[in-house]
Amino acid sequence: MENELKIDPKLVAEFFKFNKNMIEAPKMVPVPDEINLEMTPYDVAYSEDKIRLLHFNSPTQKQHQTPLVIVYALVNRYHILDIQPHKSWVRNLLNQGYDVYMVDWGTPSNIDKYLGFDDYVNGYIDNCVDFVCNEASVSKISMQGYCTGGTLATVYAALHPNKIKNLVATAPVIDGKRDTTVVGNLAKHMDVDNMVETIGNMPPEFMYYVFSVLKPFEQGIEKYINFFRNIDDKNYVDSFLRVEKWLNDTPPIPGELFRQWIKDIYQDSLLIQNKMYVGGKLVSLKNITMPIFTQVAVGDHLVSPECSMPLHYAVGSEDKTLRIYPTGHVGMIASSFSQKNVLPELGEWLKERSNK
Amino acid sequence: MAAQSDYKKSLEYYKHLSLFWTDIVYLMSSKPSALTSAGPMRKFAMQAKKLATEMIEANEDLTEFNTRLAEYYKQLSDTWIEAQKRVNKKIPEIPQDMEHLEASKRVWIDMFENDFTQLFDSEKFGENFGKLISSELELSKHWNKMLSVLLETANIPTKNDIDEIYKELHSLRKRMSKLEKNGHQTKVKNNGK
Repeated sequence: MENELKIDPKLVAEFFKFNKNMIEAPKMVPVPDEINLEMTPYDVAYSEDKIRLLHFNSPTQKQHQTPLVIVYALVNRYHILDIQPHKSWVRNLLNQGYDVYMVDWGTPSNIDKYLGFDDYVNGYIDNCVDFVCNEASVSKISMQGYCTGGTLATVYAALHPNKIKNLVATAPVIDGKRDTTVVGNLAKHMDVDNMVETIGNMPPEFMYYVFSVLKPFEQGIEKYINFFRNIDDKNYVDSFLRVEKWLNDTPPIPGELFRQWIKDIYQDSLLIQNKMYVGGKLVSLKNITMPIFTQVAVGDHLVSPECSMPLHYAVGSEDKTLRIYPTGHVGMIASSFSQKNVLPELGEWLKERSNK
Repeated sequence: MAAQSDYKKSLEYYKHLSLFWTDIVYLMSSKPSALTSAGPMRKFAMQAKKLATEMIEANEDLTEFNTRLAEYYKQLSDTWIEAQKRVNKKIPEIPQDMEHLEASKRVWIDMFENDFTQLFDSEKFGENFGKLISSELELSKHWNKMLSVLLETANIPTKNDIDEIYKELHSLRKRMSKLEKNGHQTKVKNNGK
């Protein structure tokens, strides 16, 4: 009798290989919890409450005159900017001769629920900038902000323009109403007052839910299939586990900060209309007159280009550059693409403006 | 609609019945229990009505939560069915061999990803999700209030008491930071003279 079920024997072999990989995976790869995400050595130059200002040890003698302070995002932790030696944003900038500092926001707890934009911008960031200016004997620094850190850096530059020589905004959240991502849609329908009053800080679990609906099939299924298929590839496995560990470690966001974030940036778009108040002062993007470099990724599914790009057009700077890269939110900062394209361009841009 | 109205009517009836008896029992027992005013039972008896009210109201919010949760899963399930239909149409066109395994997987992932992203981006999903979270928060509030009643009877600080301390601490930290900054600036100024 002829067998009517025709299955390619290679498919069967692939199925068995996949199963074998799953069984052998625990013997072949490290336990994610034991992976150390710290890469480039640093000193804690300054600390206040739970925040730390990290000063990375430079491998080069040559230093550009103006130090660079990176304001990391409020979601996940700073490790993504230094995730692997060959994909490290920080290491690349150090090798280009920059003196690099980065703000680590730490882990806010219930006691921090009343911390707001004012505390972060006019308190923590301003104190870090003063510290760096003092230590490097300069009156101005270059500042880069990534994602929500880009928003904080933008607000800081608008309120303290005299302390910023150059501003780099990498995928900043600026005009939430124009954001076309799922994050924007959820934020617009959120009763944030009720949320903050009832639960205080924004819990990490809520962020994980938001992440899970961003690319549910690519990120929730395909990614893991590929992991088990590539279990023999040490580089793939190392990179996968490091990014996975980073993705699954996000601190809570202080309640008041989250409230103002959702209302002023996503629901009412006050920042882009120059109507947002921080610490009793009006934030006008027209006050940003220093050179500004806005970096946007066309495939960004967390902060859409429509949300970031308005910054370029709203600032008062005459020297302004906008770059749109054919990559994603994380690809722009931690990938071979960013090492080959984004960072060399940023390095050149900063170089021309750091030694004047 | 009629079923919902009947449900509300019966809920109102049981709410009234329950609160009536809670009050009557309290009025009947408050005088003798006043003898033990130093212990927790007196306080508990005085607050018992609050617990009953919270539980009844929590029940109403639980109904809203269930409605929103059912709608949430309905949206997911409808989207899944539609995406699966589209995949079923497409897959027979692709040969089922090793060379085309990746292509089949790609079709499945892309179609599902596309349909679900459209759902998560939609107004109807955002609105229902927002209301689902709000109803969860309402349940949390009832839970918090009930816990506060119990904590108060035992003279233990409630969430509101702790929030007040956090607020005070935040204000103190802010003032201290400003003072430190001003002190530092004055020092720099004086050193410069």
